[in-house]
Amino acid sequence: MSIRFEQVTKRYRGVPVVNDVTLEVAKGEFFVLLGASGSGKSTLLRGIAGLTDIDHGRIALHGRDVTFVNPRDRGVGFVFQHYALFRNMSIADNIEFALRIRGVPAARRRERRRELLRLVALEGMDERLPSQLSGGQQQRVAVARALAHEPGVLLLDEPFGALDAKIRTELRRTVREVQRRLGTTTILVTHDQEEAFSLADRIGVMHMGRLLETGQPQQLYRQPATRFVATFLGAANLLLGEVATPYRVRVGQAMINHASQARPDAVSSTEVVTVVRPEDIELARHRQVLANPCLGEGQVLETSFGGGVGRLLVQVGAGANLRAAARVDAQVHPGLAPGACLLEVTRTAAEAMAMPLAAGDSIALGVRRLHVLPTPVSSFLFRAPTREAVLELRQSPLVAQLVQSTRANLSETIVAEEQPGTATLRSAGLVVVDNTGRTPAEIASLVAHGARRLLCVPRGAALPRRVIIHCPDDAPQGEAMGLVASLVRHINAEATFVSVMRRDAVAAERTRVLRRLLDTRAEVRASHGLDLRTELLEGAVSEQLLALASGPDPALLVMGIDGDRAEIEAALVRDLGWLFDADARWPLLLSYSGPRPAALAAVL
Amino acid sequence: MATPAAWLEERGHASRWRSRMVRGLLIGIAALFLGVILLLPLVTVFVEAFDRGIGFYREALVDPDALAAMRLTLLVTALVVPLNTLFGIAAAYAIARFSFRGKSVLTTLIDLPFAVSPVISGLAYVLVFGASGWFGPWLEERDIEVIFALPGIVLVTLFVTFPYVARELLPLMQMLGTDEEEAAISLGAGGWTTFFKVTLPKIQWGVIYGVILCNARAMGEFGAVAVVSGHIRGLTTTMPLHVEILYNEFNQVAAFAVASVLSLLALVTLAIKTAIEWRTGHRGGH
Repeated sequence: MSIRFEQVTKRYRGVPVVNDVTLEVAKGEFFVLLGASGSGKSTLLRGIAGLTDIDHGRIALHGRDVTFVNPRDRGVGFVFQHYALFRNMSIADNIEFALRIRGVPAARRRERRRELLRLVALEGMDERLPSQLSGGQQQRVAVARALAHEPGVLLLDEPFGALDAKIRTELRRTVREVQRRLGTTTILVTHDQEEAFSLADRIGVMHMGRLLETGQPQQLYRQPATRFVATFLGAANLLLGEVATPYRVRVGQAMINHASQARPDAVSSTEVVTVVRPEDIELARHRQVLANPCLGEGQVLETSFGGGVGRLLVQVGAGANLRAAARVDAQVHPGLAPGACLLEVTRTAAEAMAMPLAAGDSIALGVRRLHVLPTPVSSFLFRAPTREAVLELRQSPLVAQLVQSTRANLSETIVAEEQPGTATLRSAGLVVVDNTGRTPAEIASLVAHGARRLLCVPRGAALPRRVIIHCPDDAPQGEAMGLVASLVRHINAEATFVSVMRRDAVAAERTRVLRRLLDTRAEVRASHGLDLRTELLEGAVSEQLLALASGPDPALLVMGIDGDRAEIEAALVRDLGWLFDADARWPLLLSYSGPRPAALAAVL
Repeated sequence: MATPAAWLEERGHASRWRSRMVRGLLIGIAALFLGVILLLPLVTVFVEAFDRGIGFYREALVDPDALAAMRLTLLVTALVVPLNTLFGIAAAYAIARFSFRGKSVLTTLIDLPFAVSPVISGLAYVLVFGASGWFGPWLEERDIEVIFALPGIVLVTLFVTFPYVARELLPLMQMLGTDEEEAAISLGAGGWTTFFKVTLPKIQWGVIYGVILCNARAMGEFGAVAVVSGHIRGLTTTMPLHVEILYNEFNQVAAFAVASVLSLLALVTLAIKTAIEWRTGHRGGH
């Protein structure tokens, strides 16, 4: 491995801006870190070069741990967005800087300089000053300068950000070619997905300090694992679907086969989030002429011309039973009918020519291909006695952050008395309730009635900076981890998986607990792409969890549970009894992995 | 009847004529003001100095006390300017490059000499180092003279001219950022190499500019020096003090002769400063 980070974390004023990032970049690989500004990608890159200290974790370059090595001795080449050429030195002196420091004789320096200038197509510019070159030329010099001392790793921080579109593509090609020829392991940071697609062997998408997913461009585009990546890499329509069989989902009126198996926990009628790319939607005048399963019928809302492709916004009316998995701001699309679902469609110029469309035209939509996201949080269901209570719940910092960041669909159930309302609970992605003054029995009842994923938020709960995950020994953890992986990406918090063992535990018991802890971490990383901290505590479960939760930063507790209603209640009282005290302010996320109601489990 | 176009054209003529009037008037006022307030007194200095001919002028300058004052002024300047250049670069570097507790306090402290009247800063030094001051007895026991001696004059001049270099460099360093330094480090340069090869060349014009301003003030400082010098002729009088003494003795010509030398120094400084501004302007520097 050429570059390797292990759980790298960097905090600014207590908030993690790089959060438990673990990654391996192979020798000679061109890796692109893609993310919006503020996602932590540049901080991570600077961490590799040693220009920023990291708070936690290890960084290894070519098998050498450099976590505490001085930046000057790391042997990396760094290219900055604004070139950072030494303005008082000639191009020749700029490029020879690293060699001069290393005491390379003049003749060899000159030879290397010529070679590098040829490589970046700037021969003969040796005696100019940086200010006499154009931006594109300056950045070429910066690349040559960074490669002068033959670093094993080349790091580029938004290198094309300050250049015009045309020069950008040109320089992109140069960089790619130079990298291929020299075989230098490279990490490039950008917010431009087109750039990422055109350069990368592999892309890693960062969001809120976390590395969400890594993969080859094609794979990430076609089979994203998270909502964020699905919508950040290209345009995507997120639609709610319902599992029919393991390989078929129902979306609107269509029954669609899909290549990826639906969520492993999904049984028939489980709500899932599906990704339909704009180019995977087929348009026809009538549903009979569609070559693919029909999603429904709708009207064209808006058309725009985009050179090679035409872009359309189509709304499908409430009658088609098609539901978006992401909220749309009604103000942005004033023509949108209430309850209608908005879809983005792109067509090639030839398709557009064959069937010209204008705003207001009626149209039938078919789906060529769709992808089911593994996230269990398909939608939020707020359950409260009054409308005001629902609003209050939504304004709680944690809930507001989740709702805003996931943009998932919201629905609310107003239940006057404590009637379980089984059907709505069962189909919901995540049920949210107010936890103020509730008893473990009430919570257990909600879970037993079908709220498999339940977020209990007490009044006055702060936005968590830590997530503490606890699964009692015998409870299966798969579902809980899937839920954590899905939610933790939307809050700036560090997640820790906690195991508690008795003080008098025998050696065999200790080994078992420790192994479980490490297995869980490895498993979460493998199947959900999330790196967790682990912590092994000794003593009584309830006491230890309380001590941990009482730390200075606000915490969210996650517990995986199973069993029947009585067992759930017992587990809550036993491990988290203090959470139900009158003045407790900790939100609690429960993930239930017990048996499903028989009627629903029949299909799988 | 005028067509709209003609009307507009006429209006255009009128407004253009008016704007030219306004411009002329403003320039005239500014020139007049500068002439009366700045240029006239300066010219008067030289006119008065040569009032009784070149012979008198020469005599006034070769007077031992006058020569001593010039020597003292040059000595103080030669001590103060390098010290404040070092302090200024160090302070600006620390503030621009590092984040530390008390950074904003330090930034404010640098401006303190600008805000405090020089006379008061002089008095403060008397209170600290004078015979009845805090360290007075301690200094007296060891026979160290600070107030009414060279060290006192150097100290107050240091105080008064402290902000010039630092203030000049701070915004410049903040504007130029740290990319180049980081690039140097990632290329393998150490701290000193980075400072001398990258940082210093980058800010050199700012340093020179700050040094010139610092120099001008160090030579011309009157208030603070007047308080701590004790006006011992030939020993602790700097040029500005010497001018005042001569003037109070109704020795007009000699006073203006020394003053003219001081003014000449100021004019030379100004010329150098302008030359540098012109040069950096053309280099596209700061």
